[in-house]
Amino acid sequence: MSLLMKKKVKEKINEVPIQITWKEIKRQKVLLFWSFIIVIYGVIFYYLPLTGWVMAFQNYKPKDGIFHSQFIGFAKFEQLFHDATFLRVIRNTLGMGVINLVVSFITAIVFAILLNELRNKNGKKLVQTISYLPHFLSWIIVTGILHEALSGSGIVNELLVKFNFIDAPINFFAHPKFFWPIVAFANIWKETGWNAIIYLAAITAIDPCLYEAAAIDGAGRWARIKYVTLPGIKPTIIILLLMNVGNVLNAGFEIQYLLGNGLVQSVSQTIDIYVLKWGISQGDYAIGTAAGIFKSLVSIILIVIANMIAKHNDEERLF
Amino acid sequence: MKLLNKNKKKTSLGDMIFYLCNGIFMIAFVIITLYPVFNTLVISFNDGTDALRGGIHLWPRKWTLKNYETVLTKDNLITGAYITVTRTIIGTLLALVTNALLAFIVSRKRFLFKRQLSLFWVVTMYVNGGLVPTFLLFKGLGLTNSFGVYVIPGMLSAFNMLVIRTFMNGIPDSLEESAQLDGAGYMTIFIRIISPLCKPVYATVALFVAVGQWNSWFDAMIYNRMRSDLTTLQYELMKLLSSVTNQGGSVENLKNAAGAVTPTSVRAAATIITILPIIMLYPFLQKYFVTGMTLGGVKE
Amino acid sequence: MKKKQLLSLLLGATLSIALLAGCGSKTDESATETSTDSATTTTEADAGETSNGEIKEFTAFFAVAGTEINDDNEIQTIIAEKTGAKVKETWLTGQTDKEAIGTFIAGGEYPDFIEGGSGTPQLIDAGALVALDDYIEKYPNIKALFSEEDWNKLRQTDGHIYFIPQFGTVKNEEKVCTHNDEAFWIQTRVLKWAGYPEVKTMDQYFELIESYQAANPTMEDGTENIPYTILCEDWRYFCLENAPQFLDGYPNDGSVIVDPVNLKIIDYNTTPTAKLYFQKLNEEYKKGIVDPESFTQTYDEYIAKLSTGRVLGMIDQWWDFAYNVNDALKQQELDAQGCNYVPLPITISEDVKNQWHNSGAVLNVSSGLAVTTSCEDVDAAMKFVNDILAQDIHDLRFWGVEDVDYNVTETGEFARTEEQRMNASDTAYKASNLCTYSYFPQYTGTSDDGINANRPDGQASEFYDALHPVLQECFAAYGAKTYVDMLGTNESPGSWYPMWSFSNSLNTSTPGGTAWVKIGEVKHEWLPKIVMANDYEGAWADYMEVYKNCDSQAFLSEMQTELDRRMAESAKFN
Repeated sequence: MSLLMKKKVKEKINEVPIQITWKEIKRQKVLLFWSFIIVIYGVIFYYLPLTGWVMAFQNYKPKDGIFHSQFIGFAKFEQLFHDATFLRVIRNTLGMGVINLVVSFITAIVFAILLNELRNKNGKKLVQTISYLPHFLSWIIVTGILHEALSGSGIVNELLVKFNFIDAPINFFAHPKFFWPIVAFANIWKETGWNAIIYLAAITAIDPCLYEAAAIDGAGRWARIKYVTLPGIKPTIIILLLMNVGNVLNAGFEIQYLLGNGLVQSVSQTIDIYVLKWGISQGDYAIGTAAGIFKSLVSIILIVIANMIAKHNDEERLF
Repeated sequence: MKLLNKNKKKTSLGDMIFYLCNGIFMIAFVIITLYPVFNTLVISFNDGTDALRGGIHLWPRKWTLKNYETVLTKDNLITGAYITVTRTIIGTLLALVTNALLAFIVSRKRFLFKRQLSLFWVVTMYVNGGLVPTFLLFKGLGLTNSFGVYVIPGMLSAFNMLVIRTFMNGIPDSLEESAQLDGAGYMTIFIRIISPLCKPVYATVALFVAVGQWNSWFDAMIYNRMRSDLTTLQYELMKLLSSVTNQGGSVENLKNAAGAVTPTSVRAAATIITILPIIMLYPFLQKYFVTGMTLGGVKE
Repeated sequence: MKKKQLLSLLLGATLSIALLAGCGSKTDESATETSTDSATTTTEADAGETSNGEIKEFTAFFAVAGTEINDDNEIQTIIAEKTGAKVKETWLTGQTDKEAIGTFIAGGEYPDFIEGGSGTPQLIDAGALVALDDYIEKYPNIKALFSEEDWNKLRQTDGHIYFIPQFGTVKNEEKVCTHNDEAFWIQTRVLKWAGYPEVKTMDQYFELIESYQAANPTMEDGTENIPYTILCEDWRYFCLENAPQFLDGYPNDGSVIVDPVNLKIIDYNTTPTAKLYFQKLNEEYKKGIVDPESFTQTYDEYIAKLSTGRVLGMIDQWWDFAYNVNDALKQQELDAQGCNYVPLPITISEDVKNQWHNSGAVLNVSSGLAVTTSCEDVDAAMKFVNDILAQDIHDLRFWGVEDVDYNVTETGEFARTEEQRMNASDTAYKASNLCTYSYFPQYTGTSDDGINANRPDGQASEFYDALHPVLQECFAAYGAKTYVDMLGTNESPGSWYPMWSFSNSLNTSTPGGTAWVKIGEVKHEWLPKIVMANDYEGAWADYMEVYKNCDSQAFLSEMQTELDRRMAESAKFN
């Protein structure tokens, strides 16, 4: 069993870079042709708009456009990093981003595995269909329900009081310490089923022979999950983890905006909310763009590091 | 013989407990996930003014179909639905073909620019030029005021490509090698050998893209704002809902637009109308990844 | 093999289309950079083909949230037949006004009419708007909207007028029944229980609520009352923060107090009255009178609370709660139980005269209806604006079709039946039948016939008939016929009014604008804190400490400069 896995890993290590030779180029001409077209597409739709980054260094005025606005250098970046609010906002974004990343990863994987273990085929289908429905509810509806459940007279307080965990109802939204956990919970609630889809697809690709072999070896359920299912979806897990590491600064906007209030604003504001408040709604494009560039750079640094770690451990990697 | 029996019995006892716990967990999970959806459904059938009082949980207090009437009699809804269905179908097909092709290229072991091409796409996930430059680009390309803006810009995405690539990486190389020995070109290998094995991941990506297409309204608003014949279903619904979600509004704006707030119940009805088609679509895709594929036949 | 070819073909086709388009992009792009008026692609071209060849169709975008009406809307069609033109209106969706306007400017293509909201200065800056000065002179109905002095206030720095404010124009005698603005509201049952007492100060107001609550802790059905709640969500926190200006007897300048004698700006956040007001809230919070969920509730939840009739009193602006809440109360017959809200003339002490309600119009000089450079026929567009101000069209817009949406009594008075009132508030009916062109210029006040109000909500008889007897009884007890009578009216404030039209247009490019945003942030966090504080004095001191760091002086001095400028401008006309 474990031998088989090792063999697979070995295969990967033995990758030798192929030399660029005319023979090789001729051999791959179909691949090269299509990649050329795809690169052109990518340059046009993803890289060309990056000229807009120049706005971060300008006193951008819509009337003057990108080419004629006044150049102001790094003034906006300086303004950002001298603003105590912005630094706090980075902390909040990172905090919520990391919590969400970790928690949503674990729940989605656990859910996918448990769902896969359900014996009843129809039950499985039904549960899966239901599990991803909340994904389609808008945040305004989800936060509305959450607000009601956690309110002074809501079901959560009712239960806590009934079972004597607390003496009087807690106003969850008035305490900064509850805010991040609530956001994390809301994310799980809404997205677990949806995030699990990708793992379920990966699980189906595992060769059933492996399970049979494991059963013959006398492996119990836990052993099978540990030695067959998890290794089988490991590449998918690694790839998604790598991608999402780059996304920790995109902790969101809507949910924090809808759940936040004055009392918790010191922990609830994210970079995107900051940009809306100080940039967009003030007509200051440069601030928004500068914050965007900052986010992009951090993301790219994070994924390069993560990718290096993955490479070092001979795991699946992004590039 | 005896040993084997004992072993079997033992596992099945453990299994029993496991199944029981798992079953209970799933039921609990279903209840808490289903509740918000169910609650939305209930509110969508409740009278709007009455719903303002709150406290509606499992059953409508004042039954009505009026909310659906309000949503469904909205102008342009048919046009929107038609455009949305069209863009979902075309957009999904296009995205599937292009992402699969790209994933196929970068998952070839021998491909010369494997790493570079991957990196090129990975970066696109984290950079964004902003709304205004993108708008200018699309305008320059003639994509504004056109259907093309719905399906061409988002066609290739690094995320979907990587998901497919990961899956393709798991397919043994020996398949490709033996096919090449038989004289098959890369395209044949892609279409005949790799793609059939990738059905589960294709279904997954198709679902992602289709849902994205189905739900999108921002492009319709930004690029085709003045073309009511190119409106989408979600944009029409958004217009109905926008009055409650206007962020950073001001006193004066709302004062003059007084009474324009859309009732919760109408919002709920619009949500249900959005979800329904997706619920119906799902079973068709589901068969590719719940039942479990047998790859046994293609093992080396 | 066949499959392969097909696939390649499909791929090749799409990608090369994208490619080709990409090559052609360069030139187009630079073209749009430089010229804004080259764009002529509006929908007018295809509009000409619609049903009637005679009817001109314009497009309009309003950077505010609004509700679209159907294309075959009945009254829109009637107006189109009478005026020869119609307008397809689009509203702001899921964006801020500045974002939406920003994309319009970037693209250089505009609808014929535009209301830019806080993006208006950008539009003027980008040369997107047509100077309307000459056109205004040509169209008498438009010209009549404002006095020469008011038109002058609308002139931009280059001396031209680019937009026409849609609101704040009173025709003939003013007719107002509802107090559309802010007040301390209280349920009629509380007043009735206490024998309709005079309530004039903040202390009396809370004392009344306290004693009522002590005697009647629940509603008739046993639901517990919520004595006083405060809405604090996002920009709606005016329900908490701006009362000090009113308590001191000043009108709603919004961001500051203007001392009308010395013409000096006063910061209402730091006045002794502000401290007393929040102290009162703090005391009431400790007594359990202020709803503990006040500072965390959302607007939806707040409306839901009021709709149950549980809340005895609050501060709010009428339009912010009444349209939703009154319908809900009516449906549950809670108005019979005295759950309707009436405003009270509250100030900090009896010797201060309240100014919650001001007569006269409020001119918003920061934005309005504009015609863009993309409009091919500015004359026709302005003619349309002129036409829909005519009395008969104005009646169609706001009253509807005679005998269908309203009836005319023998005395010539417009009146509506209960069913007609229901229709007028029904979403579906409004979309298919009614067309108010709500963001085009319009009047309040009295119709040219001298009898009717220009809008149903100003029609006294119509208004009084629709009131529940319980409310009528309450009004009678105070010798009032309308909500306005409950408060009394004041002359409209000086010609600086309102200062919010300036603070709204501030942005972070000036120190004062930055301070203004910071002040908002600090108040959002600290006002709830001081109300909930155990030690009020200490909390207030901490708050003042943080408040000082906002550089509020920069903000105040910019407000003072604007005040001086406005006064100097108006002096030219007196």
